[in-house]
Amino acid sequence: MDWNADHAGFVIAAYALSLAFVAGLVIYVFNRDVRIRKRLTLFEKTKK
Amino acid sequence: MQQFANPTRFLQLANRALPTIWAVTVILFAIGLYGALVSAPPDYQQGETVRIMFVHVPAAWLAMLVYTVMALSSAVAIIFRHPLADVAAKTAAPIGAVFCFLALATGSLWGKPMWGAWWVWDARLTSMFVLFLLYVGYIAIWQAIEEPTRAAMIARIVALVGFVNIPVIKFSVDWWNTLHQPASVLRMDGSTIDWSIRWPLLVLGVAYTFLFLALHLTSMRSEITARKLRNLQIARSGEA
Repeated sequence: MDWNADHAGFVIAAYALSLAFVAGLVIYVFNRDVRIRKRLTLFEKTKK
Repeated sequence: MQQFANPTRFLQLANRALPTIWAVTVILFAIGLYGALVSAPPDYQQGETVRIMFVHVPAAWLAMLVYTVMALSSAVAIIFRHPLADVAAKTAAPIGAVFCFLALATGSLWGKPMWGAWWVWDARLTSMFVLFLLYVGYIAIWQAIEEPTRAAMIARIVALVGFVNIPVIKFSVDWWNTLHQPASVLRMDGSTIDWSIRWPLLVLGVAYTFLFLALHLTSMRSEITARKLRNLQIARSGEA
């Protein structure tokens, strides 16, 4: 990859955008999973 | 197949499979990105800009694949009343919407230097935009309707009706005159792309598929847990 080539900024923007959205999606999915499983554990604890 | 209909059995399988799926995803992305950014040569016409293809095309493939998964799951939910089918369709939608948005956005970033325009209303771009609206509409149904059974029924219909758009996207470049190029990888007469550029594209296509699988299984696990929690809360409020 020639970083100084014509239109290299468009390539960098496309990869940066993809990375940002994929990383955001992974974080969102993981956070939700951890949050819900914690809530279930807490609920089952208070039940006892 | 029936044994996987049991959410508890499904959770056990998902928990066992997820670490391996995540590991394969990371390895495939590492290999694919090396091929895309280091090994693949620049195109003789497009120069370095061709590298946008390696993130644009897999995102577009996945946007269509995920919607197909949603439509199939919705059909299974209607025909077989499979308890996990609605969960599969509902949790796939936000992931597919992100892939669809990325296909549109990276396509726009590719279009500007190649076509001289960020956006054109040609058949491929318009049908892809319609797919994005279908994703947003599907997600909105689950958010807007409080009663889960009613939301599920309407969402199933939207997913199945919207599936008509998938072959339209695929064949839009053949049926109409479009600025978007015709298919160059998945063709009856073989690919028109040189192997040096094709292999990173295929590896990243598989990497995106594994990423979807990992995210989908994790989201399904969350949704099953959330439904279990809701049922327990309802049962407790009934006891009180």
